[in-house]
Amino acid sequence: MARIAGGGVVAVAVGMALAPAARADTSNFEMSGKIYTKYMYQNDATQGCLSMSNPFWVDNIGGHNGACTEFELNIKAHVGPKVEAGVRLQSRWGAMWQDWWENGDLKPGVADTSGESLGMNHAQYIKLRGAWIRAAPPIPTVRWVTVGSTDYSMWNEWTIGKARYIDRDNGSGVFFEGELLPRKRLSYTTGAMALPKLWAGPGWQTGLSGNDPLARLYGTDWAFALKLESRVSDELRLRFIGATLRDWEPDRYSPMLTGAPDAARGADHSVALATRFRGYNGTLDAVYSPAALDFLTVSAMLAGSSNFVNPDYATNMVRNGQGFSPVVFKLGSNGTPVSSNGLAGKVLVELADPLQVGLSLKLEYFNIGSEYNAVMGARREADVLLTDGIIAGGFTRGGQLPTLNVANEFQDWDEPWYESCIGWKGATAVAEWVRGVLRVTGEFTYIGYNTNMQGRDVRNQYPNFLYTNGFTDTTAFTADSDYANVYDRGKDPRSVYAENQDRRTFLVVATAQYAIPGFRGATINLKGKHVNDRDNRILANPNDDYEGKSWLGMISLSNQLTNELRTFAGFEYTHWSEANREGSEQEGFHDSRTVRQTARAGFTYAYGGALFSYMLEYFHKDLLRQPYYFDMKWNVWRSKASLEVSW
Amino acid sequence: MHLETIAGVLAAALITSWGFPAAAADDPVKGCTPDGGFTFTDPTGDDDGPGTYTYPTDAVYKPGSFDITEFQVVPRGDEVEFRVTVKSRIEDPWDSPAWGGNGFSIQMVFIHIDTDHKKDSGVRDGLPGTNVRFAADEAWDRVVIISPQGATRVNSEVDAKCPQWKDRIIVPRVTRASGRTLYAVVDTKQLGGHPTPAWGYQVLMQSNEGFPAKTDLLTRKVNEYEGQHRFGGGTDYDNDPQVMDIIVPPGGDPVKKQHEILSKYNKAATTVVKPEDLAVVPMVYPCAK
Repeated sequence: MARIAGGGVVAVAVGMALAPAARADTSNFEMSGKIYTKYMYQNDATQGCLSMSNPFWVDNIGGHNGACTEFELNIKAHVGPKVEAGVRLQSRWGAMWQDWWENGDLKPGVADTSGESLGMNHAQYIKLRGAWIRAAPPIPTVRWVTVGSTDYSMWNEWTIGKARYIDRDNGSGVFFEGELLPRKRLSYTTGAMALPKLWAGPGWQTGLSGNDPLARLYGTDWAFALKLESRVSDELRLRFIGATLRDWEPDRYSPMLTGAPDAARGADHSVALATRFRGYNGTLDAVYSPAALDFLTVSAMLAGSSNFVNPDYATNMVRNGQGFSPVVFKLGSNGTPVSSNGLAGKVLVELADPLQVGLSLKLEYFNIGSEYNAVMGARREADVLLTDGIIAGGFTRGGQLPTLNVANEFQDWDEPWYESCIGWKGATAVAEWVRGVLRVTGEFTYIGYNTNMQGRDVRNQYPNFLYTNGFTDTTAFTADSDYANVYDRGKDPRSVYAENQDRRTFLVVATAQYAIPGFRGATINLKGKHVNDRDNRILANPNDDYEGKSWLGMISLSNQLTNELRTFAGFEYTHWSEANREGSEQEGFHDSRTVRQTARAGFTYAYGGALFSYMLEYFHKDLLRQPYYFDMKWNVWRSKASLEVSW
Repeated sequence: MHLETIAGVLAAALITSWGFPAAAADDPVKGCTPDGGFTFTDPTGDDDGPGTYTYPTDAVYKPGSFDITEFQVVPRGDEVEFRVTVKSRIEDPWDSPAWGGNGFSIQMVFIHIDTDHKKDSGVRDGLPGTNVRFAADEAWDRVVIISPQGATRVNSEVDAKCPQWKDRIIVPRVTRASGRTLYAVVDTKQLGGHPTPAWGYQVLMQSNEGFPAKTDLLTRKVNEYEGQHRFGGGTDYDNDPQVMDIIVPPGGDPVKKQHEILSKYNKAATTVVKPEDLAVVPMVYPCAK
């Protein structure tokens, strides 16, 4: 096993001379394992252990009814003080306990009457999910060199974002970290990363001919990034991050690809590369914490992006994919493709209990350009704005991200949702009062939109993700078919462009947590939220104005009954009143009302290193649309249990 | 520079209007009250353990995140609120609500309390993973754990790794973060009584490790060289004190004093580490006469 961490391998990989190959000292050899089992139930006709899987391809692991188990093994070795290495081995998620025997031997074209195989997604094979080597070479200024798997966490949400947890080792690259000036006056990180072929480009890929006939090469595609950080003083920190994405394809006009290898044609057994997609993202941010006012922190950030798509190699998914595209296909005034450029900025002032009475304030101004887009930015599990946002509910949390590439798939119904904040401009004020066992917060946010425009070209240039209207019901997304919005769950969280938009939103949020005296760890949580969302659509048409008003109230009680047992129960009421929600300019728009009640209860129990959790939810929803459309209702019971053991 | 100018003006205005002092007084102890309350100031820039420790390299470990600047004890009826303030804004980069946590991610604080100041009363060993000890007459009687992990997880770790001290370890009723401060609310019953000015404290700043080693109580290791999620500047063995910042008794240069205290461990003890090889951290009796 020590061969995994051989120093000689490092030397080859990073091209430098190190000490002779070392073997991991047993005391420095760490192994950890984990078994994770999940059970899901819902009163629907799906099976699997993942509420929402791939929204595009049917991958036969998404569904609500089933029990599944996975195993993870991490091995880490301190080969020597300056070289360490690690791998993660993990079984494939997707096999249900009911699968009985599955070897992945799917026979395409042969009727499988015994259910012998559903393919490798159900075969529980152990896969190398990540491998990395880290060394501290004797190179001036270089502190560390890392080769292998990465979660991209060294950059930020506006450039190259940290990969979602399930993808934490899927990225690979080579990274150098070090200091140019001592005492952190100037430190750097730079790296080259293989561009993920699955999502980081036009059409959510970087050159898959099966998906995009104009492209067929992804092995040449890379992202490059540089971070410079400086602790100018104890009070001021500065950081610059610059990143570029390079998606190349073989030059379709190369003589070697267009005819005989005739020297007279210019063929010379070399093929040039042409750009399919090129992206630039950069941020400059500062954090100022004056020593004399230790309650004050001021953070500011400026960001810029530039994305260019070459339609000679990338199918225009705005035109040919119903407006589903993570990039803008921008055209110049003469109809030729040009870069889509955007700027963004925000300033956050935080006053942490300046009067020593438990009252803290946060004020944020944000202004994100209509075409700022971090194609490889954080896709979920991050939040760049202070506000609670529009998409977050009571039980369901949420966040905002500056990308069209937001990913709300491969997750369960109890996980947070994320919305794109491209084009948002406005301000948030949050006050927090803390005294003993009581915490109260209040928020007011106003959002204007840089994307407001009449007659925007959403047929050829700007993706609208088809569904631009209405509050998004994250609760009602289902695995079987509603990722395609069959049952009207409102606006796509990625939709930032509409053909005609004149929109503004404000929201008010209040929360409270109170630990009940006399009860061990019993805490009441309250949340109230109102969103007022108005879009005048076509300014010349007073009859098409959308106005959505959302009210939410939630109460929950959590209680630490014993050292090992924590219980939870809560109720959420949501009411949406939406004028002119559904319809079209041609046929007119009609009102709708949504009333939803959700009840949840559950517990977590820890015993001797094992952690068991269970959650049961019932929600009833009425979508009232008559007399223009039929009404719909939901009566959904669902539960999720997990058992986790790590060692 | 523009930003600095704006902030400077703002700072001046605030100082003028609210009358805040421009610099802290020399005496680190303020506001001792008969019910055991006080405020204790710790210098900035000493979040380096014995003077050599460095932060992990991952971007979530922002400068100052483990630098204690103030420790407060605020008695309130049958409750006591403990506040530990650090130099940097406390963030939640790992989205603690998703794992039943308390609204922050990377900090982890152990507040040791000596309620009787008697020799051979209490516990001399530090909690698993801290690699420190206490003097015989300064042994701790209670310890409050301020962890981002939910109470269930912390309790299960205590059950597994130090069940012998279960009755002395307090997981607060409320644990939360706001601004730069961590808050913990504890019942006086759990403390064994109301605080008095005679009580002693030691605050150990550690980092929350969700995947700790078998012998560590949710603590992050210190190695010879820092890693993505490991502190550096110590040793690869369990002989070095695995704490980034502590409080020290008033008098003298507190930074120098901390460095000296945490440097006194047996560097020759590597694979076999005995209790006497570990650094001895002092109790601080801020209001004792």
